[in-house]
Amino acid sequence: MKQAKDTLKQIRRSPYQAIAAALAMSLTFFVASLFIILIFGGQLVLLYLEQRPQAIAFFSDETKESRILEIAKEIEATGLSKEIKYVSKEEAYEIYRERFKDDPLLLESVTADFLPAHLEVSAQKVDDIKILTEGFRQREEVESIVAPEDVVGKLANVTRTVRTAGLIFVSVLIAISFLIIIMVVGMRIALRRDEISIMNLVGATKWYIARPFFIEGALYGIIGASIATFLVYSLLLFYSPQIQNFLGPIQIFPISPLFFLYLWLAQVFAAITVGVLGAAIALYRYLRVK
Amino acid sequence: MIEFQSVSKKYPSGQTALDGISLKIESGEFVFIVGLSGAGKSTMIKMLTRELSPSSGKVLFNNEDINAFKKSRIPLLRRRIGTVFQDFKLLLTRTVFENVAVPLEVLSKSEAEIEKEVSSALEKVGILDKANSFPSQLAGGEVQRTAIARAIISKPEVILADEPTGDLDPKNSLSVVGLLEKINKEDKTTIIMATHNSQIVNHFKKRVVVLEKGKMVKDQKEGRYEAG
Repeated sequence: MKQAKDTLKQIRRSPYQAIAAALAMSLTFFVASLFIILIFGGQLVLLYLEQRPQAIAFFSDETKESRILEIAKEIEATGLSKEIKYVSKEEAYEIYRERFKDDPLLLESVTADFLPAHLEVSAQKVDDIKILTEGFRQREEVESIVAPEDVVGKLANVTRTVRTAGLIFVSVLIAISFLIIIMVVGMRIALRRDEISIMNLVGATKWYIARPFFIEGALYGIIGASIATFLVYSLLLFYSPQIQNFLGPIQIFPISPLFFLYLWLAQVFAAITVGVLGAAIALYRYLRVK
Repeated sequence: MIEFQSVSKKYPSGQTALDGISLKIESGEFVFIVGLSGAGKSTMIKMLTRELSPSSGKVLFNNEDINAFKKSRIPLLRRRIGTVFQDFKLLLTRTVFENVAVPLEVLSKSEAEIEKEVSSALEKVGILDKANSFPSQLAGGEVQRTAIARAIISKPEVILADEPTGDLDPKNSLSVVGLLEKINKEDKTTIIMATHNSQIVNHFKKRVVVLEKGKMVKDQKEGRYEAG
């Protein structure tokens, strides 16, 4: 407790370095939070798209319903599909009517005969869509195929790229924070060199001497991670209507407060690690050359 | 209690600071280690706190070789030894009270205990009224008394004083060494004081160990020292 008070006193004596360290930590973990949320959001969008029918095979008018159901069973047997739904001409017409109920012109011009029966298939994995569509193409009963495999695939690629870019970017920021912590704690050690030397001579253990610097490093971490999480939480709260509007039917909001609690805890843990390790390196350098 | 067994110290520069010193100091003794500058007095003092290690020989504290101590044991050794440094090593940004409290803080004592023990030590050395002053506000002799208060605060078995009267006038010098003598008599604390002040040495009539160019040339009870 006494040492924590001393640490706060030290920080108050030269607050600018402390502010620099805390801000560097905040920036790092703010960017980290953004990437985490971007990746998390991307996963939700992917999940949504994966649950949607990813390949729709339209059958020729001559194909009988029993044959289409047979094909559905064959596809099911491959194990590549997650869900197969048969939509008859009549059902397709119902869907069409529902979708264009406000446009009588479009409703009048189309009857059930115009709309082909089809199979809506969702794949187990994104990569399986291609195999499924290829399978449909080889069947003469299939007239046309709509397969948004490219959209899902591209989105998966974007998510992967965001993850990699985020990792690299956040790693660079962590390295910068790390160096700032080493610099700030190193400066404090230099300022307290006499005090440390006296403590050494009156019988202080290394741990006793090092503890306030570890507390300081950890404190920068806690402050930085807390500011970052608060900023991200506020931003998401403020922009949630716009984001939801952009995402359309993909329901992301409201994000559970538990998510932010876990995010904060994880960031505090990571930030304390960065702060304490930075302080440890600064101390190691000083105590080694004393 | 303290024993130097054929202790030699050679610095990397090639300079020999101590050359085959053998010396035994019993508990409760008051010993002056005297000699000109560069005779090896400070080297001997620093070996007792293991700031320095001998190049050969052994330094024993309560029959244990200090240099065989693991690094983690050094702080424990230093807590049993109070030191008044040549340059006093007071923290200029801390008050007299806070300076004296440092060894107790290191022992993680409570604020109430620190308050009580620091006040008692300051009273003993006669500067209780200066508790809230900073070292730069102290008069001659008061800095030394602050350093002595810090050295006795953790009730050590030994006090090492390295030239504590270096910058003092004769009156203040006598007063400061008189204080160490009082601590030696009242608390039975062993005192080892390095000095080149012959006036002080001859006034107090204690055991005198004379060093010349790293060699011990005299060890005398109630000895005298003629400088130069």
